[in-house]
Amino acid sequence: MRALFDAIANALEAEAGAGEVLAATLQAESSEFARLNAGRIRQAGRVERAVARIRLVQGDRQAFHQVTLPGLDAGDDAVRRTVGEAVSALRAAVLDGAPDPLLDLNRDPVVAVDEAVAAPFDRSAFVDTVAAAAGDADLVGFCAAGPVARGFCSSTGSRQWYARPRVSFDWSIHLPPDVGADAARRAVKAEWSGAAFDPVAVAAAIARSRAQAAVMGGPTRRLAPGEYRVLLSPRALADLLEMLCWGGFSARAHRAGQSPLARLAEGRAALSPLLSIDEDLAAGFAPGFQSDGYPRPRRIPLVRAGRMGELLVSPRTAREYGLRSNAASEHEAPESMRVAPGALATRDAMARLGTGLSVANLWYLNFSDRPACRITGMTRFACLWVEDGEPVAPVEAMRFDDSLYRILGEHLEALGDTPAAMPATDTWEARSIGGLEAPSALVAALRFAS
Amino acid sequence: MSGPIAQPRPPSPGARVVVRVVEEHSESLRVRRSLVQPFEASTDRGAMVTVWRRHGVGYCATADLGTESLQRAAESADGWARLAERHGVFDGIDLLALLESGALAPDRPDLGEPLPPRAALIDLLRAESDALHPDPRIVSWSASLRVTRHEQQLFVDGAPRIERSHRFVEPNLEATAVDGAMSQTRSLGGQYSGFTQQGGFEVVRASGLLGGGGRIAQEALQLLAAPECPTGVRDLLLMPDQMMLQIHESIGHPLELDRILGDERNFAGGSFVTLDLFGRYAYGSPLLDVSFDPGVPGEIAGYAADDEGEAARRVWLIRHGILQRPLGGGLSRARAAARGVALEGAACARAVGWHRPAIDRMANLNVEPGDTPFEGLIEGVARGVLMRTNVSWSIDDARNKFQFGCEWGQLIEDGRLTTVVRNPGYRGVSATFWRSLARVGDAATVQVLGTPFCGKGEPGQIARVGHAAPACLFRDVDVFGGEG
Repeated sequence: MRALFDAIANALEAEAGAGEVLAATLQAESSEFARLNAGRIRQAGRVERAVARIRLVQGDRQAFHQVTLPGLDAGDDAVRRTVGEAVSALRAAVLDGAPDPLLDLNRDPVVAVDEAVAAPFDRSAFVDTVAAAAGDADLVGFCAAGPVARGFCSSTGSRQWYARPRVSFDWSIHLPPDVGADAARRAVKAEWSGAAFDPVAVAAAIARSRAQAAVMGGPTRRLAPGEYRVLLSPRALADLLEMLCWGGFSARAHRAGQSPLARLAEGRAALSPLLSIDEDLAAGFAPGFQSDGYPRPRRIPLVRAGRMGELLVSPRTAREYGLRSNAASEHEAPESMRVAPGALATRDAMARLGTGLSVANLWYLNFSDRPACRITGMTRFACLWVEDGEPVAPVEAMRFDDSLYRILGEHLEALGDTPAAMPATDTWEARSIGGLEAPSALVAALRFAS
Repeated sequence: MSGPIAQPRPPSPGARVVVRVVEEHSESLRVRRSLVQPFEASTDRGAMVTVWRRHGVGYCATADLGTESLQRAAESADGWARLAERHGVFDGIDLLALLESGALAPDRPDLGEPLPPRAALIDLLRAESDALHPDPRIVSWSASLRVTRHEQQLFVDGAPRIERSHRFVEPNLEATAVDGAMSQTRSLGGQYSGFTQQGGFEVVRASGLLGGGGRIAQEALQLLAAPECPTGVRDLLLMPDQMMLQIHESIGHPLELDRILGDERNFAGGSFVTLDLFGRYAYGSPLLDVSFDPGVPGEIAGYAADDEGEAARRVWLIRHGILQRPLGGGLSRARAAARGVALEGAACARAVGWHRPAIDRMANLNVEPGDTPFEGLIEGVARGVLMRTNVSWSIDDARNKFQFGCEWGQLIEDGRLTTVVRNPGYRGVSATFWRSLARVGDAATVQVLGTPFCGKGEPGQIARVGHAAPACLFRDVDVFGGEG
């Protein structure tokens, strides 16, 4: 993929005409995908794809054309042809538009390489490992393996490259149907990720999740709507915080009246002083450059002891609203959030919860009142009723509907002392990069609506 | 479609090769805050090579359409197919038999009225953008249009099976008004572009984009000043641009046969519907008729054959309230049959592009009109709320317990539409909600809508789905508003 990136950079330098600047961002992957149902292969294959978003700047005008490169091994000539066709189309289109006063592109010749490699993925080893570890358990899962890469290059000499090998395997263990009428929904979820597939570690993780699934076997409890104490796992807290990527820290969303954290930024509301969140590239989830070619700061404080820290400001938003850019990505969403841990020891967490709900996963979150940062969603997978610090029964899926200003504000009692790293596993148009690091959270009251 | 490609040979004895070539080109125009945004285009072309064996299947997708590359892709796909034969979910299923059905299905629908030149379209959007900003309380506004040409060919054993050529048109307007700590957003088709259809410029006109900027802005300002939607049990009148979401989440997804078979339990979830319910389960009131209809003119997910080559036709999913059949393509139906449940389905095995394999998707899923004119839907309703344009959606992993919110609400009091209310929302349970369907609007209340943003599958796929529906009245629903 690195050779492909270099070929694109060379093509941009060759194609740029007088008075023109060309730039491109590259998104590439060579992925093995395996989808499992009942511990067996349901759908598996390989996808090789590289997409370049080519940008033409002519004076004060610009236009973009995203093209799929003709294969990861495309040679210089094929790449030059693809880039050349896109640039020709852009030259025709850019005149139909208008001058763009918000145009901002880093023309410095920044060269940076952040690359790691690992052993290739062994399909048979994966299938055999999972089959043996799952045994007769109803394991449903998905594995995505292989390198992912991002790049930025320009005709002015910039070449910034980020590539990581990654294996992401997440699965759920479902109880057999004879356990109860709603058995199909009694399950535990787990995830494993690494640079290369590790059969020993994955087998051990599957064994742990099978043991955890046994806890879900007793009679379920149905709770009445109301407020309950909850212990959110790191994954469940991450599920909540990922909602803030929908404009919560975006300077543009704040100016556009579409941020769920507008009241926090304006000082009309506050979160708990226990809560501090950084956008922190040191977590290694995301590259150190953004789509306009600017190097990103290593760390940006987003929330400081419950108060709004810095907003994410892209170069374009900075020009639009007269702000100072902090080289945020185009979408101004955090890619590498890190929540500062608290003092709640994992071994003490259930005792501190006392009586309430232990929530492993949340599901299908959405804003029910965005200005109030009110979020609704469901519990999913292992949600347990706890009495006096001991889990006593799985709980039927519950809907919560509550404001984050309460959940992580006045009702946040403690954060765990052991954060978990959770690389993004989304594969919508391409495999995601990014991720989040968060601890567990003890919340005095969460409103359940149904 | 660009030039022909060389078809790969079967990579090993017993293997058969299916190649799906997809090419898409899109152009996006947008005027935001009265500023013309940079032109954005996208060109994507590649091939999905699938190898089918008697009891296993695998795939490999590549954008290198050269002969050697496609042959390597077939060999890679065969490797997964062999593993699936050894340890897959296909025991007892003759997968090769699935390739026998279907004949060449050319699918070249009318592409509609020609679109004006790019510069003229930008002028149209600029005019609407200006109309979207009549008041300084409107702090964000935009007018946008995306046009996508999609072409696809499917080859089975080297012989053509599908030829498809579609054009999708996606217009939208949006305005956000702010006053102090309150903000309200109003849009033309919702945040997921509900007016997307196949066709040409007639789609733009039908959407209401032309001349719609002023109305959208005024409605955003009206919502800003409106009281919160009240909380309590009321009758609920859903307009088509909320019905589409209601159909999608609480009929479409639960009826997907791959979900019922458990494929999505680790991701998008399962379904409260089980294999034994088809043909007898009362999904809704007797007024509920739901069709899978690939032939509605202009509806976004219409096609002659699905992405595995099965010819598509209109079928009933729910008739007079009774569940008839799932949304299941050929492979899912074969798997259900292997479990001893023979079901009729729909030609709905679909993939979003060359880089994703086909799974069960809902395509065009429509609620059929009744005979009640709009006035009759509110007549006699003592306490109700009309809601339109989805803004919030959440449903449990069995597609049962849901909570949805809308941009626009209006109270119904003693048979009359009265006060506009903001942040309207409602909760329910799919298994019982449709049984509270009390009145179904006539054909005059129907809108043909659709969205390019339905997510499902591992790896993920964001698909185009169509939903045509009339306005519908539901009894005794839990409604609520925002916090103010």
